[in-house]
Amino acid sequence: MNENVKINVNGTEIQSAPNKLLIEACEDSGIHIPRFCWHKRLDPVGMCRMCLVEIETPRGKMLVPSCTTNITDDMVVDTESDVVKKAQEGVLEFLLINHPLDCPVCDKAGECPLQDQTMSYGPGESRFVEEKRHFEKPIPISEIILLDRERCILCARCTRFSDEISGDPLIEFIQRGNKTEVNTFPNEPFKSYFSGNTVQICPVGALTSTSYRFKARPWDLKSVRSTCSGCPVGCSIELNSSQNKMLRILGVDNDNVNQGWMCDKGRYNFEYLNSDLRLTSPLKKINGEFQKTTIKDIYSDLDEILKNNNNVKFLLGTNITNEEYVSFNEFAKKLTDEEPSFYINDDLLYEGFFEDDIQLAKINDLNEADTVVVWSEDLKENLPVLYLRVRQAVKNGAKLIVFGHSNSTLLDIADYFYTDDVISKNFEIGDSLPMLEGVEKFINDKNVTAIIGKSTPFQADESIKKLVSYLQKYSNLKILNAFSTGNVYGAFHTLSSIKNLSDFSEEVNSDNTDVLFVVGADPIGKSIYSNQIKKNIKDIDNVVCLDLFIHETSELGNYIIPTSSTLGEKEGTFTNIEFRTSRIDKLVPSPGQALSDWEFISGLSNFMKLDNNIDSLEELNIKAYEGLAQQTKPIFDNLDKPSNLDGILNNFEVNISTSENSGTNCDYFVGKKLYGDNVTIRYSHSISLLGAKQFIEANNSTISKLNLNSTKCLLSQDEVEVPVDFIENEKLSDGIIFIPINRRNLNKFDFSKKISITPNHSKAALNVN
Amino acid sequence: MSWEDSLLKQAREIIDMYPQKRSAVGPLLHLAQSKDGYISDDSISVISKLVGITEVQLKSVSTFYSMYKQEPTGKYLLSVCKSISCEINKSDEIIDVVKDFTGLNNNETDKNGLFTFEAVECIGACGGAPAMQVNYETVEGLSPNNTLKLCEWLKKELPEVVVAEEMQEDFGGYKSFDWAISDQSGTTGSVPGFQTLKTTKERN
Ligand code: SF4
Ligand code: SF4
Ligand code: FES
Ligand code: FES
Repeated sequence: MNENVKINVNGTEIQSAPNKLLIEACEDSGIHIPRFCWHKRLDPVGMCRMCLVEIETPRGKMLVPSCTTNITDDMVVDTESDVVKKAQEGVLEFLLINHPLDCPVCDKAGECPLQDQTMSYGPGESRFVEEKRHFEKPIPISEIILLDRERCILCARCTRFSDEISGDPLIEFIQRGNKTEVNTFPNEPFKSYFSGNTVQICPVGALTSTSYRFKARPWDLKSVRSTCSGCPVGCSIELNSSQNKMLRILGVDNDNVNQGWMCDKGRYNFEYLNSDLRLTSPLKKINGEFQKTTIKDIYSDLDEILKNNNNVKFLLGTNITNEEYVSFNEFAKKLTDEEPSFYINDDLLYEGFFEDDIQLAKINDLNEADTVVVWSEDLKENLPVLYLRVRQAVKNGAKLIVFGHSNSTLLDIADYFYTDDVISKNFEIGDSLPMLEGVEKFINDKNVTAIIGKSTPFQADESIKKLVSYLQKYSNLKILNAFSTGNVYGAFHTLSSIKNLSDFSEEVNSDNTDVLFVVGADPIGKSIYSNQIKKNIKDIDNVVCLDLFIHETSELGNYIIPTSSTLGEKEGTFTNIEFRTSRIDKLVPSPGQALSDWEFISGLSNFMKLDNNIDSLEELNIKAYEGLAQQTKPIFDNLDKPSNLDGILNNFEVNISTSENSGTNCDYFVGKKLYGDNVTIRYSHSISLLGAKQFIEANNSTISKLNLNSTKCLLSQDEVEVPVDFIENEKLSDGIIFIPINRRNLNKFDFSKKISITPNHSKAALNVN
Repeated sequence: MSWEDSLLKQAREIIDMYPQKRSAVGPLLHLAQSKDGYISDDSISVISKLVGITEVQLKSVSTFYSMYKQEPTGKYLLSVCKSISCEINKSDEIIDVVKDFTGLNNNETDKNGLFTFEAVECIGACGGAPAMQVNYETVEGLSPNNTLKLCEWLKKELPEVVVAEEMQEDFGGYKSFDWAISDQSGTTGSVPGFQTLKTTKERN
């Protein structure tokens, strides 16, 4: 059945898997057919006719678009005949009728398929002398994307992407014929978490981003391949810089992971690298004020402090490479006799499902599954490209069962969406599970890939276990554990033991801690345990922060060491959600005296004359993967092999030892939005405002029960007061009030107690809008 | 802004006729047009909520088809056929008469909102060419003289309803075949979703 198909292209026989498009089969055999509209990851439309080739038919040779023609056995194809060339010239002459001929002032020039293909396949001259059509030059179609309709060649890549892939079709062709243009509906901007992808796949300079527009010319760019550390999906990316400044990030097509796509946060959350507010020199607090100092001075202070105190604790962020985790682990082992434990800057960390009897899923298993089950944080907000992969699985025929209440963004494509009657307000699963129609039809005895994680920090571990044990018993189950912070999967296998922020807030205080290292973490700004943590940290005598910026947490430090970012400022490795380890690479220098975390730790160890200090990145890299089979070790030598650029999968031992969360009775559903109010977003100019709005959400009936008479309201509890907008979201179930804890100050409430919601009549609130 | 209950009820009836809500877009846009004389952005928002596709997708559909109007038309929409059969039978003269009488160019509406003129592709009355439509009611076998009379009549009498048969009687000439196929079953009938919209005669 699955035998290869033989076709003859330009006199040479090539073999291809069946059911392929002609353009794809040729591409796979190294024969390039020019194209504008066809894109490997989108459905073909045959819009542009640039891919015309001649095939032999019973009625003689015929021109057909190779992007909409399936290959058949013994097909005879000519991609270079005179007729084909004439067709290509004709298509280009037509496309250029209305396209401005001003490449020197176009942002795409130098990497423009239209420019390149006009050079290679164009007629060289145009017979068109009339006036070209005109549109207002670039119009903003969202806060971050601009559209120049004069340059658009109507290939429908952007519109297909937003419809087929990201599922938010907010741009479309308007009008027809010569008047056709891409546009949005009036006052309904192209507000998509994935809009940057359309800029990347637009074959001309019609779509540009506010971030990169006119910043550089492609021939001035330096580039390197790396991995996005924005979330555990770990999208493969290409970093671009010019004159030592990072300017752009592009998605790279890694079939196992992101398939070329990225989310906009991953794409644009790098601009902070060039922020004037970046820390560039080490700081030491003297009489309550930070003063500049030298690394050496800090080393000698710390040497003294660490010699006299051995109660040392570590709170680590997740924008840390595996090598750096290893260096902290080694360092900690030398300071204390016991097994060190590390607190990870994550509210939702829990034990997960990693036992031996669990089959762990790969992302691509979503495509093989009969049924995909999701019960986790909102994927679209927290693991955006995984959300795209779930959409893809459904498009390819998988059934989707979603358990509430967090993934309401999947409501539209879910076959069964269980909320209210199955899942309580506190995210406990009821006993009706085996009786549910969807479960009977699509789970029992099926191949199920389940994306499982905590929906909210207050959810009891037990309630997730209940679902998993059912699935395990009645289906052929693979689990993709959904944790959502940066390189947290790297932490799982490199650190000897890890705990979460709830543990941190309960366990770490001045009674048992003399020295606290806080590395790239701002729990006070983002955690729901913020208040407790702040109190505890304040009392600790020696707080050493390694960070990019001063923020709510690092400002409590006695020392701050400026560090380099995982985006282009250092080398290392990253482990993603399916335990695929890939390369993080360096492209630009770090500002001022900023150091990598491992450089700082290794320098400190040397200063303290600790034994067996590992002081090279290569050695840390090797140390990180001790015990794995040589061929699958994600050491630099292996990762740099062409066949391993997409990363290497491994089975790692996972060391999570969070204490059991038995659930908290909470009237609110708290969760994170993609854009938050953290420092790196705030200092990335093009997206800085996207995480600023403070709001809460509920459905209409829930809102009306509150009798507010206003969408502006005030949340208050004790001395915490936050003005918010009340937004209607009909996808939420009755009684659920969503509070985004990564918007400013919304994490400062005690969610186990009542928060009062009153109309906000203050002047400031009324003046808005 | 939204639709009145009766209109919404009619919309829901149309939607119920299709296995997928979005398939009802065609007749729903006509319903919107029957309300305002054109497809307003407000109506698009209403339909978007009813069928669950985005507003811009509806805008895309409605702007693709020239019979979905993007702006309000005059009380009388004069659509003169310019396609081949009519062209051969001197539709240019008919067009000239209409243009002269109304003072309008193609796709223009007069200040008083009385007439909109458009030259359109084949309206399916080739056998009775040259032909035109007033508010989509067809008159065939026109002569320049009768066309002028028709225009004058509209302007003078300001009829609330125009019906094909009556205009044909008074101003038409040779007619190819009967309009409005009476057998609505099978493939010759109109699409079920559109049947609910009824013909001008049935509505009045
Ligand atoms: S804007 Fe770009 S991607 Fe979109 S249709 Fe036009 S040319 Fe294609
Ligand atoms: S989905 Fe995650 S890894 Fe991918 S671009 Fe977004 S933040 Fe980066
Ligand atoms: S690439 Fe085939 S028609 Fe555009
Ligand atoms: S050409 Fe005029 S009605 Fe067909």
